[in-house]
Amino acid sequence: MDGHAAATGRVAALLERRWRVLHAPRWLGPALLVAIGYYLAARLGLALTLKPYPISTLWPPNALLAGVLLLAPARAWWWLLAAALPAHLLAELQSGVPTVMVLGWYVSNCGEALIAAALVRVFVPEPLRLDSLRNAGIFLACAVLAAPLLSSFLDAALVRTIGSGQNSYWDLVHKRVFSNILAELTVAPLVLTWAALVTRRPAASLAHIVEALALFLGLLGVCMLVFDLPYLGTHISPAVYYLPLPFLIWAAVRHGPAGTTTALALMAVATIWGAVHGLGPFAARTPQETAHDMQLFLIAVSVPLLLLAVVLEERERAERESREQRRQLTHLSRVAMLGELSGGIAHELNQPLTAILSNAQAAQHFLANKTAEPEVLAEILHDIIEADQRAGDVIARLRALFKRGETRFETLEPNRLVEDALALTHGDLTTRGVELVLRLAPRLPEIRGDRVQLQQVVLNLVVNAAEAMAPCPQKDRLLTVQTLATKGRVHINVVDRGSGFNVPAERLFEAFYTTKPQGLGLGLSISKSIIKAHGGRLWATTRRGGGAAFLITLPSVP
Amino acid sequence: MSDVRANVTVVDDDPLVLRSLDRLLQSAGYAVETYSSALEFLRSCAFDAPGCVVMDLSLPYLNGLDLQQALGKIADARPVVFISGHGTVPNSVEAMKAGAVDFLTKPVDAEKLLGAVRAALSKDHAAREQRAGQAAVTSRLCTLTPREREVLAGVVVGKLNKQIAAELGTAEKTIKVHRARMMRKMEVGSLAELVRAWTVTQPPPAA
Repeated sequence: MDGHAAATGRVAALLERRWRVLHAPRWLGPALLVAIGYYLAARLGLALTLKPYPISTLWPPNALLAGVLLLAPARAWWWLLAAALPAHLLAELQSGVPTVMVLGWYVSNCGEALIAAALVRVFVPEPLRLDSLRNAGIFLACAVLAAPLLSSFLDAALVRTIGSGQNSYWDLVHKRVFSNILAELTVAPLVLTWAALVTRRPAASLAHIVEALALFLGLLGVCMLVFDLPYLGTHISPAVYYLPLPFLIWAAVRHGPAGTTTALALMAVATIWGAVHGLGPFAARTPQETAHDMQLFLIAVSVPLLLLAVVLEERERAERESREQRRQLTHLSRVAMLGELSGGIAHELNQPLTAILSNAQAAQHFLANKTAEPEVLAEILHDIIEADQRAGDVIARLRALFKRGETRFETLEPNRLVEDALALTHGDLTTRGVELVLRLAPRLPEIRGDRVQLQQVVLNLVVNAAEAMAPCPQKDRLLTVQTLATKGRVHINVVDRGSGFNVPAERLFEAFYTTKPQGLGLGLSISKSIIKAHGGRLWATTRRGGGAAFLITLPSVP
Repeated sequence: MSDVRANVTVVDDDPLVLRSLDRLLQSAGYAVETYSSALEFLRSCAFDAPGCVVMDLSLPYLNGLDLQQALGKIADARPVVFISGHGTVPNSVEAMKAGAVDFLTKPVDAEKLLGAVRAALSKDHAAREQRAGQAAVTSRLCTLTPREREVLAGVVVGKLNKQIAAELGTAEKTIKVHRARMMRKMEVGSLAELVRAWTVTQPPPAA
């Protein structure tokens, strides 16, 4: 490096250090988000207050803070809470409450969030995800029940000491508890589930998004119909309260915890908004009773639905994981099988290599002897190219089987599928002295499936059959692979003349059942699950006169 | 070597390999016959003609080792050079024990293959010469009269004319006449030559 470049490097490093000082710190973004969110939540809470009743039916800022703290590491809690202070002052000072009281509420709001987050953190040391029943239970016990209770004592005491003394202490506690419980139940899960959704970034299809839109429009429509129409004086059947339920269950079943929490929040806002404006079934009584009734109704609906969404999510995740495991196992058994075939595959590659080498050396001799005729040389080159292509085909087939890809269904020709699979076993069969009889029915209907997985099944059956015939004299080592069609079905049969099997056929397909000294006992069980996933059937029978027949049946494409 | 082009037979079930070996051997100046299976080769009438066989170990229906065994039962069978894509030790041991000239693995280098073919052809040549010599001696033996054969049997075990005459109950002079005629018919000039010719017709001692 010359002097000039070194100097440039030093300047760049200096600038970078300076820039880092000027650069916004890492936590500024989240802090800003918390401040804005807190302010909006406070405005919403104020808007959902039934005048002249001074307590909001749903006070979201505390729960928002709790949700944020549950996601953040403990060392970040202090500055996240600090970020809420300006938003708190801005929102509350507009309502004409004494400054001391406003600051007191800030302390009690932060207190609730801290209690919720700290209690949950005792049981779940990492950022909380509402993806298991255990986590949801801990969240409900700590954040939804314990934190509002504890902080309500604190809050009520503050109000009693600082503020206006119309209400008794226990009355204040009672009012705040339900308001806070509903908020923790509605807002904190919203924050948690959406944060999980945003970080996981699932690939949502257009159809799924359209469905979600339809769901929320439908829910909004029903909620407005039920909670936001003037019902004054009319009798309301209790059945009306259940009208949003189908939409909420739809959300839980199809749109996960995030969809459910959003739907619940939407219903809560629609319900309270209606009551605040003197509409809906709850508006008939005193503000205290109205608020209390709504809180109990919304809590009663939210808890089971939230749990339902979490349970469904947990189950789906378990299914996803087992699917992934099955996929890995399928791939592993395929690789293991290719390992068994490696000798035969080496033979398959050796043949074209032999042809290439001998052809090339023959050409060299012809040229050296000056006996090279152009036609002969052309034939030699033609054969070399053919041999090279053959070797390339073997490698392409191998690569396809070695790859660990997603399951991909496509339309397949059964005969082509069988031929492709057998192409890799040719060497192995020759080495084992097994004679292959191919009986492919002409004009078979097509099937739909994953090419690699179906090839895997055929390969597995062929390798098993070849191994089963190892003890037979060579003239009896006859392997028949047959394809045929019946109505709506395509059959692929692999029949050997080995010693057959003397256990019930179902046992052959059990995982870890094997007759081979080095076998894992997974091949047939995986083959069966592959065929099952294709809507088909794989079973085995003994052949008359010795041997086993493995029969694959797959639905054909109409 | 004779000026007639030596005959090399190639047996391999892979047409591409078969053609390439055919060309390679032709380029080295051999007359080549190709067969794609052991059965096809055995059906040809020339499997005992002079030359050698280059064949793949794993062939359909009847594999290379089986074919080698079948050929081993034929007196004038050609020597075998095996080539294999997956030579295992037990296979090669079995092949060599059964009299294979060489056991090469695919892809086989021209140098090695042609070396093995040369060795096989000279083995075949030597074996045929030996068998031809045996046949000549045998046909000469057939021209002897019973008396002459009795004299020969005595002579080759080192008996004197006098002893033979005593055993056969004739005069020593008569034996001398028989002996001279026998030596002439056997086309040998000395006792040593006679013994050597006689030995090749005898079956080898059982192992």
